[in-house]
Amino acid sequence: MKEKIGIVDTLEERKPYIARKQEKGQEIPLACDNNSLAGAISQRACVYSGARVVLNPVTDAIHLVHGPIGCAGYTWDIRGAKSSGIETNRTSFSTDMKELDVVFGGEKKLSNAIDELVGLYHPPVVFVYSTCIVGIIGDDLESVCKTASQKHNIPVIPVKSEGFKGNKSDGYKAACDALKKLIKKPPEDPIAKKAPRSPETIKPKINILGDFNVAGDVWLIKPLFEQMGIEVIVSMTGDSTAKTISRAAEADLNLVQCSGSMTYLAKWMQTEYGIPYLNASFFGIEDISLALRKTADYFGSEKMKQQAEQILETEINRIMPEISRVRERVKGKKAAIYMGGPAKALTLIKGFAELGMEVVIIGTQTGKKEDYEQISYSVRDGTVIVDDANPLELAELLVKQKADLMVAGVKERFIAYKLGIAFCDFNHDRVVEFEGFDGFVNFVQEVDASISSPVWKAVRQRALIPEAVEPENKSGKIEKAAVAAESEKKSGRMEKAVVKEMIPEENHATECKGILLKPKFLHQKSEAAVESQV
Amino acid sequence: MTKRNYTTVNPCVMCQPMGSALAFKGIENTMVLYHGSQGCSTYMRLHLAHHFREPVDIASSSLSEKGAVYGGRENLKKGLRNVINRYNPKVIGVATTCLAETIGDDVPAIIREFKEEEGIGDDLEKDIIIVPVSTPSYGESHVSGYIKALDAIVRTFAEKPGDEIAEKFPNEKLNVIPVESLSPADVRELKEIFEVMAGGYIFLPDISETFDAPLREDLPKIAQGGTPLSEIADMPNSQASLGLGIVSKNLAVNYLEESHDVPGYSVPIPIGLSNTDSFFTELVKILGCPIPVKYLQERGRLLDAMVDVHKYLYGVKAAIYGDPDFVFSLTTFMLELGMNPVLVATGSKSRDFEVKVRQIVEKINPEFEPVILNGIDFDTLNDAVSQCNPEILIGNSNGRYIAKARNIPLVRVGLPIHDRVGAQRILTVGYRGAMEFLDRITNAILEATDTFTAPVQAEPIAYAEKGNEECVEGMR
Repeated sequence: MKEKIGIVDTLEERKPYIARKQEKGQEIPLACDNNSLAGAISQRACVYSGARVVLNPVTDAIHLVHGPIGCAGYTWDIRGAKSSGIETNRTSFSTDMKELDVVFGGEKKLSNAIDELVGLYHPPVVFVYSTCIVGIIGDDLESVCKTASQKHNIPVIPVKSEGFKGNKSDGYKAACDALKKLIKKPPEDPIAKKAPRSPETIKPKINILGDFNVAGDVWLIKPLFEQMGIEVIVSMTGDSTAKTISRAAEADLNLVQCSGSMTYLAKWMQTEYGIPYLNASFFGIEDISLALRKTADYFGSEKMKQQAEQILETEINRIMPEISRVRERVKGKKAAIYMGGPAKALTLIKGFAELGMEVVIIGTQTGKKEDYEQISYSVRDGTVIVDDANPLELAELLVKQKADLMVAGVKERFIAYKLGIAFCDFNHDRVVEFEGFDGFVNFVQEVDASISSPVWKAVRQRALIPEAVEPENKSGKIEKAAVAAESEKKSGRMEKAVVKEMIPEENHATECKGILLKPKFLHQKSEAAVESQV
Repeated sequence: MTKRNYTTVNPCVMCQPMGSALAFKGIENTMVLYHGSQGCSTYMRLHLAHHFREPVDIASSSLSEKGAVYGGRENLKKGLRNVINRYNPKVIGVATTCLAETIGDDVPAIIREFKEEEGIGDDLEKDIIIVPVSTPSYGESHVSGYIKALDAIVRTFAEKPGDEIAEKFPNEKLNVIPVESLSPADVRELKEIFEVMAGGYIFLPDISETFDAPLREDLPKIAQGGTPLSEIADMPNSQASLGLGIVSKNLAVNYLEESHDVPGYSVPIPIGLSNTDSFFTELVKILGCPIPVKYLQERGRLLDAMVDVHKYLYGVKAAIYGDPDFVFSLTTFMLELGMNPVLVATGSKSRDFEVKVRQIVEKINPEFEPVILNGIDFDTLNDAVSQCNPEILIGNSNGRYIAKARNIPLVRVGLPIHDRVGAQRILTVGYRGAMEFLDRITNAILEATDTFTAPVQAEPIAYAEKGNEECVEGMR
């Protein structure tokens, strides 16, 4: 094989985006936070998608997509963000722009659409997403929304998410800008004026920013804070409503989980309303503990600190047996992480550490310089860090880094599967909670289920190579290796590095002893069969 | 019915570029590149990966604000260069999105320029072939995107620059071109039929392997399989073209007939008895060979199955929705089974749809008066369902909300199917497909109406205890 420069074989322009951590603490230069390279097949979506994922969990809003049908169609209810009440957000609304709208402008249609929907659904808020085409033909969303807002006396908020105007992160920002317009100035608090609020006198209030209640995550988190005597006003945007969002400025503290999408909003609330924020994660024992302790520390109440410790003790004792059981089964396995946002990637590193697993690849779609610095600080030497990876890079990395499990989303799932690697979906369409204590149990069980499944044993031996004559025949292995080398030479394609020790000693053929097998059959049948019989 | 004039609620169609990907992905060694913003390719990859459960790589020219203002020329060229560099494809299908169309990029001209710069010639065998197709998302639907892409592919390979009158080398082959994307299982079944009946055939596009790939030792950059390029180039030499689908116009079949004198015939997508019958009859007419015994046997088995279930299905009210030709053929089958298709709908705008469906209802059971809708969204379908009161829903998985709300079964077929496995293996064509589908529909109805499985009464206590003891004994 020819000598390859760099960690994986990729485009010259992509090379700065992939780095290997060499020495502990050493800062690695990694390019990030740029627009995706044309033709590189980024796993990222667009500005609109960033805005949509952040805003869509607002349950009682009309999410109206002003654009051609595709943008609304592909995002219809694709996120498993649950609602405790109304589910207007699960319906897809589009102005379905056609050629005539493009030629003559879509403002009239949009304004009619808003009138129509408000009349039919009586929503408390309408979000109007702009798409690529709107940015080009120059529909004035601001003015249409303003007029509609006055007419119907509800907020009609334009979301500036023209697909091409930046990347997914810019969409997060557009969503936050829309949320800003919903947050109302809190009523004057007479007590607060006299004396600083203290947890002993008034029940403290917080917001959770950057939790989207996928599969009901938030419902496992909120009770923990309530037990500590803290009111959670709203989780943004999981299971939120226009009303709960409007109250957000009443909070004493913001906890930011998905930092990529919500730090911008948290910073704004800090300057606008003087509400400080802390970063927190509700995934994995270590991070949940940290989140609860940090919050209690912030409010400085001894009682609250005690309550936090008590919750942690009870809950950890409750789930530890199951975590330990799984840990015994999966420890030492190698994990690959490819996430949309850096916060989830970071917390996963700790989660895997709790399982005794090692992270060998970590990447995100939208990480920034600070995020990668933190990631680089948190992972072991030899770990490959990648920004805005594409399928070919991921596939090669998975093989080269000998990953046993990948955690990512749907697009990555089938890359892992095709390479015979276990997979855990930590994206929007999972159906079980991963946050909180029970969520972590769900997570470790899913990791175990995928790693321990017997299908991989069958998969490792993909082709049926009958060698039934002598079960003790050891030469088969050498022959296999030779075929592998041969096929690599011939095809030049990416080969799955066959981890020899992982091939069970007894081959498939010995298991089906007694069945009449014709060893030459496959070889004669086709060339391709020979190539793939490794 | 809810009256809406300006809003689409829960779309029942996908956009044109999606259709082009479904077509291009059925061609050997082909990559698809969307000329537009990054999101289009990612969303459609997600949609397809979810449905077929395969990795789906689609490139994007990743247009940025700069590209949108000054034109996407450089991005498109760079995208092509990078795709060639990384994937080494033989063909690149370049489909436009609404963004590229609206900023007015002249894609064929940019491609010409690119080929010149890179020294890519027009030799179909040696050079990389770049096929542009104009598929703005604001025009028509994924169905038209599919038809246009196939037309563009056939034209690119058939038009040999220089030759005034293309020389013909008759090959005795049969071209087969559907107007809508069939499932990989459907394509496999049809290929098997042609394998037996036709001396040679060219099936375009062949997604039987590209979207349903066997697990291999390696992961090829581009999924293996697809219609071989040499075969596509050979299409103008074929003895005839068979178009599958009669509602939508088959541009590729028409083109081959008009420009290359390849006689074109179109039959409905062979779903159900009479449609499969006309399919085989047409094959016999074109090829002059008898129907193989195997298929006559299958036909007999289908008849047997239809007899077995006729009482379960008689008069059962069904609502069918999906792509126009697919729905037309399914409706035919429902009618043949004695079912009452109270609601027949397609998301695509199609005037011929209603006419054709009316004709077939008239022909098979004039007593029925189905509501026939085109260009609908799921909200309209929901209203129509409330009005028509079907007992079963047949269509893609997006109808699950309606089925759930009304507590009626949904038999999943078409695209997308995101909430169940096996979408790539759903077989509906041919006699075998008809049988499989018949079983699925009947079982769904039986499951919904089944009262036998619930325990009605407990066993007498003494008897039950005795039984338990025996059971425990037995286990030891």
